[in-house]
Amino acid sequence: MARKKKNEKKKAVDFTLFLSIMILVFFGIIMVFSSSWPEAMQKFGDGYHFLKRQLVFSVIGFMAIIILMNIDYRIYRKFALPIFIFAVILGLLIFTPLGDESKGARRWLILFGFRFMPSDIIKLASIIFLSAFLSNKKERTGTLLLGTIPALIIIGFSCGLIYLQKDLGTTVTLGATLVAIFFIAGMRISHLLALGAGAAGLLYYAVTSEGNEYRLERITAFMDPFADKLDTGWQAVQSLYAIGSGGLFGLGLGKSRQKFFYIPESYNDFIFSIIGEELGFFGSLLVIILFLIVIWRGIIIALKIDDTFGCFLATGIIALIGIQALIHIAVATSSIPTTGITLPFVSYGGTSLVMNMASIGILLNISRQANIERS
Amino acid sequence: MNIPMKSTKTRLKVAFGFAVTLIIALILRLGYLQIYKGDELQKGALEQWTKSIDIKPKRGIIYDRKGKKLAISVNAFTVWAYPADIKNPEETARILADVLDMDYDQVLEKLTKNQSTEKIKQWITREEANELRQHGLSGISIVDDNRRYYPNGNFAAHIIGFTNIDNVGLAGIENVYDEYLTGIPGKWLKMTDAANRQLPYDGEKIHEPEDGTSLVLTIDETIQYFAEKAAQQALLDNKAKNVSIIIMEPKTGDILAMVSKPDFDLNNPREPLDQALKAEWANLPIDELQDRWYDMWRNFNVNDIYEPGSTFKLITAAAALEENTTSLNHHYYCNGFIRDIKGEVLRCARWYNPHGSQSLREALNNSCNVAFVNIARQLGKEKFYEYIRAFGFGERTDIDLLGEEIGIIPSSSDIIKEINLATMSYGHGVAITPIQLVNSVAAMSNGGYLMKPRLLQKLVDIEGNIVASFEPEVKRQVLSKKTSDTMLSLMESVVSDGSGRSAQVPGYRIGGKTGTAQKIIDGRYAQGKYIASFIGVAPIDDPKAVVLVTVDEPTGSSYYGGSVAAPVAKSIFEDLFNYLEIPPEYTDEDLDQESERVILPDLRNTHIGDAGTTLTDLGLRYTTEYIEITSDSTVIDQFPAPGVEVQKGSIIDLYLNSRPSNVKIMPYLIYMTKKQAMKTLDEMGLEYTFKGEGVVVDQYPLPGEEITIDTEIVVEFN
Repeated sequence: MARKKKNEKKKAVDFTLFLSIMILVFFGIIMVFSSSWPEAMQKFGDGYHFLKRQLVFSVIGFMAIIILMNIDYRIYRKFALPIFIFAVILGLLIFTPLGDESKGARRWLILFGFRFMPSDIIKLASIIFLSAFLSNKKERTGTLLLGTIPALIIIGFSCGLIYLQKDLGTTVTLGATLVAIFFIAGMRISHLLALGAGAAGLLYYAVTSEGNEYRLERITAFMDPFADKLDTGWQAVQSLYAIGSGGLFGLGLGKSRQKFFYIPESYNDFIFSIIGEELGFFGSLLVIILFLIVIWRGIIIALKIDDTFGCFLATGIIALIGIQALIHIAVATSSIPTTGITLPFVSYGGTSLVMNMASIGILLNISRQANIERS
Repeated sequence: MNIPMKSTKTRLKVAFGFAVTLIIALILRLGYLQIYKGDELQKGALEQWTKSIDIKPKRGIIYDRKGKKLAISVNAFTVWAYPADIKNPEETARILADVLDMDYDQVLEKLTKNQSTEKIKQWITREEANELRQHGLSGISIVDDNRRYYPNGNFAAHIIGFTNIDNVGLAGIENVYDEYLTGIPGKWLKMTDAANRQLPYDGEKIHEPEDGTSLVLTIDETIQYFAEKAAQQALLDNKAKNVSIIIMEPKTGDILAMVSKPDFDLNNPREPLDQALKAEWANLPIDELQDRWYDMWRNFNVNDIYEPGSTFKLITAAAALEENTTSLNHHYYCNGFIRDIKGEVLRCARWYNPHGSQSLREALNNSCNVAFVNIARQLGKEKFYEYIRAFGFGERTDIDLLGEEIGIIPSSSDIIKEINLATMSYGHGVAITPIQLVNSVAAMSNGGYLMKPRLLQKLVDIEGNIVASFEPEVKRQVLSKKTSDTMLSLMESVVSDGSGRSAQVPGYRIGGKTGTAQKIIDGRYAQGKYIASFIGVAPIDDPKAVVLVTVDEPTGSSYYGGSVAAPVAKSIFEDLFNYLEIPPEYTDEDLDQESERVILPDLRNTHIGDAGTTLTDLGLRYTTEYIEITSDSTVIDQFPAPGVEVQKGSIIDLYLNSRPSNVKIMPYLIYMTKKQAMKTLDEMGLEYTFKGEGVVVDQYPLPGEEITIDTEIVVEFN
């Protein structure tokens, strides 16, 4: 099969998707620069600190896209298990002295001088692993014993690994992504409903269990952020102030006031708020439309690929990006309780940018082998 | 190759539809926030970005009428901390505590507070500010500020008043005219980040403050100084509880001086000036301390009421003269008593030696109660009451000071019974404030016009330009010019020939009236507690000043208005004539009296009758106001003291007592030779110890103290 492909002339990738991603990444570089300037000046005395790093990560990410779109995605199916095991090991290494704590959470790993977030790798690895698993047992997906239960074990294990890092937002994101793959793969609706109930129960436990009172606070703060705007409601209120003061056209690029320490790490979990403030409703709408295009192209690729694994993988990648984007924007507009999710391609963050771009590289490779109309 | 199932494709489309729905919902939410709620949210955001810092306006200066500064604002510096910006709180706290002389732990606590700003210390000196600036501490800022400063400390304390730490007037003129003095605060608007640092755009806006208006008072610093000096001296001399003085210009109602001693330092109004008192206050609980503060800040002249006694006879006389129910030709007979009121017998002060027949002038000179009861009766209670009100008693004079009392007078003439009319004629059974009395006597002196007493003459701006000027305000005419002139002439007699002789300054025409009233405490006359007063006006031909001296609870050698308060007025008049450059004009009488002086004998321990004879023989007069006398009263003290040289015709105060005979009064021995002292003490049958040689310089007990035969007496000579 592989041999046959080599002989064929390579088809072009989905250019619309590629272009949208490039615009998002470029836009992200500008917004990271704008929103990180005050903190960069304050902390490092160098306003370009985050910009430089983001540029480097973008270049790495760009190379990842170019390389991965030229590697046949089917290879991941073969190595799905080793990849997954590798990611799990990285995830567990966090709890060894190699792990690094920052802002009260152990989410970082320092390996060979590189500091990165294993959760970003776990995300992609578990998508690959679940896609491979489901495409291998396609006929039995609808059954409980051979379909749902093993799939749920994989989902639960992956999510559990992230939950251990005290990262509920990412846990939910990944959980939803994996369930989306499972849903596409043919999960029984009755099982889905049962799972939904179970997830709700787990979420309830995560919020109300001892030691996690901050999560409950976030929910009460979400109900009425202005009631305690100096403490628990602070982030939501500041984000609303930013978005609200943007109005239709925004204060102008670079002119955000809220990035001056009103919104903590505004280049990260709240970058959409700064976009709203600086570029207004139209600027924000543009970003949303770009993501809509990305999701649309991703779904098209998943629909047109004549390979279950490719379909599931494309679904997983696009779900992961789409869900993250939706959660990020929902948090920024205070539509859901505050949780720390970055906006893919736009927010600052090396591991996440590189991994997201790498995922797009894989998706582009799938697009090459799908029967899509290319512009 | 595994081809995806059809259901997979359907489900993918469903998932896409779901995603699109969510995205549309988010777009709607975004539109709601940015377009519909945009203004509201932007307002909230603007509020948190904009920091408005008040720029304090400079408080107006308070000047005396000659342009001397009584209250000024001086530059001071206030130290603020921004805890979030402090890099090394321990080190910063150490430097601050060191430079500002503060407690390290307290400073550290402030520096580590979870506050955006925290005041470290208000009003530090320029030197401290410079030293701090040199350290260049991060998160510490030194802000220009101004504080009130009173160059003369306790000078005119009760008039000027003081401000609180925010420069808001709390008492006196500072409070009454706070609105003028304060000015309009400016604002410094700046856009700041969450840590209160200036944002790089929008710049800052400064609305300049408008400085306060300065006040020019009617007070004359020099005259105020005379009054302060005289009051302080009288306070010490008489060991009094309070000495208050008002000096008013009768034609305008301008208060030239007003003192109430003891007073306090305006720069430190919560600490008494007296060291012993200060130590005592240190341990008081705060609520008790507050009571003490308010007591200390009381201005007797307007905040307290008292029973005026004989000074009120002026009101009775003026009213009767104006109504023509008396005249200078009327005569009144004093037999010592008023016996025609059912159940009451009123006594004249000199009931034991009645005044007999006397003209109105003599009656006032002698301060004869019986005569004034008759004057009031002829006037009638309706008319008398009308004039009491017309002179402003029972109402506020509206002087520009806080908490003015209205006094106590009958609510209408209907409720005045015979006994009330009688006692009111000589100033009993009414309560007034000193400022009311001054104002009424000013009206008698200026042609009959009751003025509104005032402290504020004009408003000037910082450059000294007049912003507003206030004219004297006449409340009403109470007396005709004729009556006013008659009153001046009557008052002059009191000082030249009557009970007010101690206020006489040779070569000048001074009028006045003395008063001694027993204090009423808790509704009853308090034994041994008096208020001695003297109201004076001078010069008679062109009155420039009305002076009221009230001495509350004199406990020195005398408590009579004529001997306690009149000499204080005299010293003030002397200073005033000098300052106002009014030359003396000596009459023949003045010159005569100058030459005829007699030495006072020691009348103590003698029977009142004998003492009276002795004095009359010497050409002296005497008074024994308000004392419950029994027929065998003996003189227990006299004023002036034995041995003092006095002019012929002077009035000697005699203090009588009916104490058991084994109680004697320690005689005055100072300057006696050993022989004289020995004779005096032997005559009284006392045991004593002498120390040293020469004349007596010290004695124990002090003159006037009650002693018995057994009292140990020590006399020192030098």
